[in-house]
Amino acid sequence: MIIVDEVHKRYHTDHGPSRWVLQGVTLTIPPKVSVGLVGCNGAGKSTLLRLIGGVDHPSKGRIERQCRVSWPMGFGGGLQGSLSGRQNAKFICRVHGHEEEISDRIAYIQDFAQLGVAFEEPVNTYSSGMKSRLQFALSLAFDFDVYISDEVTATGDAAFKNKAASAFKKLADHASLIMVSHGEGTLRQFCSAGIWLHEGKAHWFDDIEDALKAYKESIPAS
Amino acid sequence: MNHSTYTHRSSFKIAYSVWKALFLREAVTRIAASRTAAMWLLLEPVAHVGFMLFLFLAVRLTQIGGIETGVWLMVGLLAFLMFRRTATQAQNAVGSNLALFAYRQVLPVDTVLVRACLEGFLTIIIALLIFACAGLFGLNVFPTDPLAVIEAFAGMWLMGLGFGLTVSVAQQLLPDVGKIIDLLMMPLYLISGVILPIASVPQPYRDMLLLNPLAHGLEAARLGFSPYYYAVPELDMGFLWGSALVLVFFGLVLHRRFARRLMTL
Repeated sequence: MIIVDEVHKRYHTDHGPSRWVLQGVTLTIPPKVSVGLVGCNGAGKSTLLRLIGGVDHPSKGRIERQCRVSWPMGFGGGLQGSLSGRQNAKFICRVHGHEEEISDRIAYIQDFAQLGVAFEEPVNTYSSGMKSRLQFALSLAFDFDVYISDEVTATGDAAFKNKAASAFKKLADHASLIMVSHGEGTLRQFCSAGIWLHEGKAHWFDDIEDALKAYKESIPAS
Repeated sequence: MNHSTYTHRSSFKIAYSVWKALFLREAVTRIAASRTAAMWLLLEPVAHVGFMLFLFLAVRLTQIGGIETGVWLMVGLLAFLMFRRTATQAQNAVGSNLALFAYRQVLPVDTVLVRACLEGFLTIIIALLIFACAGLFGLNVFPTDPLAVIEAFAGMWLMGLGFGLTVSVAQQLLPDVGKIIDLLMMPLYLISGVILPIASVPQPYRDMLLLNPLAHGLEAARLGFSPYYYAVPELDMGFLWGSALVLVFFGLVLHRRFARRLMTL
């Protein structure tokens, strides 16, 4: 269960604080429920994901995670460019306290990412597709109760997309997802509930269809 | 993957695994960042000592304060480098590891502590190598009081750690602080007595120079090498260690207070 309580968020820039991106978001995401986040660009979808994932902290309010939550998958950071894919993977295994099983996990990551010889090369020589393959494989190598995904299924070539989709489906047996996607099909495929972010507030829908409907109605017809 | 392997880890266990992972990662990037990184790690201080030694010997200055110029210069410079390398590496630790705060386990203070330890470790290796080489050239490199030398070097390292902890926070919150610190570092080399024998400075200026705790560390390290060295009479190791501990405490408090700000910049 994840409890988001009266969360406000704004960013700090060189010219003072920005506008409020989130203004009093209150949610409870029950266990074993996969949720899709919808909203227009700049509505704060990624911000909310980052807050839930613990990468960023709310300016006001509180987030309580009563389960193991992944870092946002497909999140750009977390990889050091000058180190190889293997070295980065080892680092993440160690941070998560899997020192003894490091070789198993590395084998799994290597197998899933299918980077070939590039796995031994520095990450800054990777294309964006290769990077997201690695990041996706990294987050799958650890057991979380909730996986957070920011448009991750949209990356990679056709073969990898299929692989990612089937891995996601397998995940759904024992874990839940919180995802942002602009593809309605993806959201319908993986999520049962939905959150619509609008003007700094979050609206919870038990059915993803209702969230998509509310989102579409908010867009002025052109 | 297997589910049963997960157990709730204690805070200390998490911190320990983060330190271990960071240490290995930092060591790899520091030593193998480029083809010549490892070479420069060693060559930079060697060239520094060599150049200074050449200058001093060119003016036929064979003894300073009763000990050989080579030993005097080498010990002082290495003690100073112990501080400066630790401080500069530690103060930039937060800025260059921003990407890692994506993992909730990693805190900014971890990166600073790990970098300071790594740099201290590397400097010890470099110092031992330089002493060994100098010994082959016939300099008297065996300290009469090794414990005093260790105490002085450890104090210099602790100053570097405290300085790094404090500045790493200040620098991230106010980017201009970094520039001012760079400016201050230049005269610090001179006023700490690396190439200037502080004992030969007349009063009241000597007392002013001795307000800098680093000067005490350098003198103590030299005194540890030879009991016949004319160190400054006001030498006070308590001042060096006291200042270092105050700085470390202050830096840790800053990290505690601003941890969130550092991660969300």
